Amino acid sequence: MARKQRDILSVEWIKLELIRTAYATRGGLFTIMDPRAVIIWYAILAFVPWFTHNVTVLAGLFVLGAISVVIARVGPLVLGLFIIGLGFEIIYLVIASLMFGGNWETLIALGVLNLKLGAVSMASMAAFVSLDPEKLSDALLSFRAPHLLSFGVSYGYRMLPIMVEEFNTVFDGYRLRMMAPDKPGFLAWRTIVHWGKMAVLSFYPIFLNTAKNVRTTVEALETRGFTYAQSDPRGRKLRLAYLRITPLDVAVLATTIILVVGCFWLGAAFPVYR
Amino acid sequence: MTNSHYERAGALRTAGVNPRLSTPQKLMVFVLSMALFGLANIILEIIPGPHIGPVDMGVSNFIFVPLTMVALFSPFWAALGAPLGEIVFVDLLMGDFSGLSELEGYLQMFLALYIAGSIIRNPRSKVQIWVGAITVIVIDKFLSAVVDLTKVWIGLEDAEFVEGLPESILFLEGLGFGVDVVISGILFGAIPAMWLIPALHGKIEPLMGMRPRVPGEPVPGDAPRTGWFVVVAIAIAIGSAFFSFLEAWDIEVGVFEAEFLEQYGMSFLWVAFGAIALTVVVSLVAYWLGTRGKEQPDVGAADAVAKAEAEARKEKVDA
Repeated sequence: MARKQRDILSVEWIKLELIRTAYATRGGLFTIMDPRAVIIWYAILAFVPWFTHNVTVLAGLFVLGAISVVIARVGPLVLGLFIIGLGFEIIYLVIASLMFGGNWETLIALGVLNLKLGAVSMASMAAFVSLDPEKLSDALLSFRAPHLLSFGVSYGYRMLPIMVEEFNTVFDGYRLRMMAPDKPGFLAWRTIVHWGKMAVLSFYPIFLNTAKNVRTTVEALETRGFTYAQSDPRGRKLRLAYLRITPLDVAVLATTIILVVGCFWLGAAFPVYR
Repeated sequence: MTNSHYERAGALRTAGVNPRLSTPQKLMVFVLSMALFGLANIILEIIPGPHIGPVDMGVSNFIFVPLTMVALFSPFWAALGAPLGEIVFVDLLMGDFSGLSELEGYLQMFLALYIAGSIIRNPRSKVQIWVGAITVIVIDKFLSAVVDLTKVWIGLEDAEFVEGLPESILFLEGLGFGVDVVISGILFGAIPAMWLIPALHGKIEPLMGMRPRVPGEPVPGDAPRTGWFVVVAIAIAIGSAFFSFLEAWDIEVGVFEAEFLEQYGMSFLWVAFGAIALTVVVSLVAYWLGTRGKEQPDVGAADAVAKAEAEARKEKVDA
């Protein structure tokens, strides 16, 4: 895990970053908490912002989200994509409304909306970056989510880095075998078409490989009675026996609720509507 | 059995005239669909989409990936898996998860893919693949576009509270819809699928131990109890429209109708929530009624093999 390669934005780096994200190897507060408590924590912060239009409250919740992102030690890839996304969103809104003769009021209204969306996104980053696949799927199982969902989550998180790697290999294979266009053409359209074609072609081997992988996985699981163990209450109980709510979980949840209430109190004391 | 001949080695586990999928096979189709669409989405997430002005000219989805899945395998299970892949791989991992509206996206995508997969009766027919690809995009994007446009239209009848915005949203929404149909539906939907689906037909199914789809045959692993399924699907569609409204509500309240908010407070939001809860309950009840008594008696492995063999023999006699 060569961390010093961070400054080079390469596919290799993205892959490592995805593995780190999926397996929550950075540590942080939420990794040592009970996964059920983390999901409840997330649910609180994800739902609350939708019930207010008070800018003070939203700003408070946004700050709360930012703090939890810091505490959860969210990695640079995820955070970078989020910031770029938010930044571009704002730029396009500015352009769109100025182009059609809007005024600053419009921008402020849309800015408030982005504040709200940002607060929710940051809470979800903090929560899901800190849960490894096993824990997340157990938490979903304990909330009686459909077992296809909990299996899908744990399988997805596990397989994602492998599949990205596989795709990368296949794609590089096509790059080696196919001739790049001589001239890039207007706006480099030939290059874009070439890359698009390679991306589509790469899916053919990926389909076949993944089909084999999936069959192997599912049949290996089924020989161990996977489907029945998931739906049988005894199997479920065995699997979830290790989950414990500790004083830390209670403390974090209580603090969060107090802080959220604090935001609303602050909002009531100094209400700012646009 | 017209002109589709394929070669395979080893015994396939779906036999008979009307093959039924076993539980592990349903799981396989579900997981494969989820993993592939998730991968396609993560690739799109990493590639930056080019923008021309404020309109996103990028590819919103590699629709040909789930389209291939629903065309070749059971549309129900493939359609159930694909949007989950998007949520699990991209939204949860990348912090894009937005709660309620994710559910709306899931339901829309599921319906779109399921309908497209049911339209494609012959995976080798290019016309059907084209129709399927465009159907997915139209169903998936149309609902949200219509909801947004309705909002703007209602907003326009009101006093011109904020200048410029209604026109811009109307314009961008319409343009975005057109761009999506062309780029996601045709360039990265129908055209690649036209090549990929026939290329994989007959090759990928035996890898999963299944028999390839034969043109004109009923869809394998179809949704049970068609009548009830339609009820559930309609309820889901209505529910997802309400989710759209809830999503659009914020823009609406925030931008167009500040007075409205002062007058009615948050009560309208609760009405929307109530409507969603109601449709969820209705669809759950309908689903429960539809699946009640569906439990089949457990057939042992020996029985199943005997049945399959008997059916295969009958098929030979018929042929």
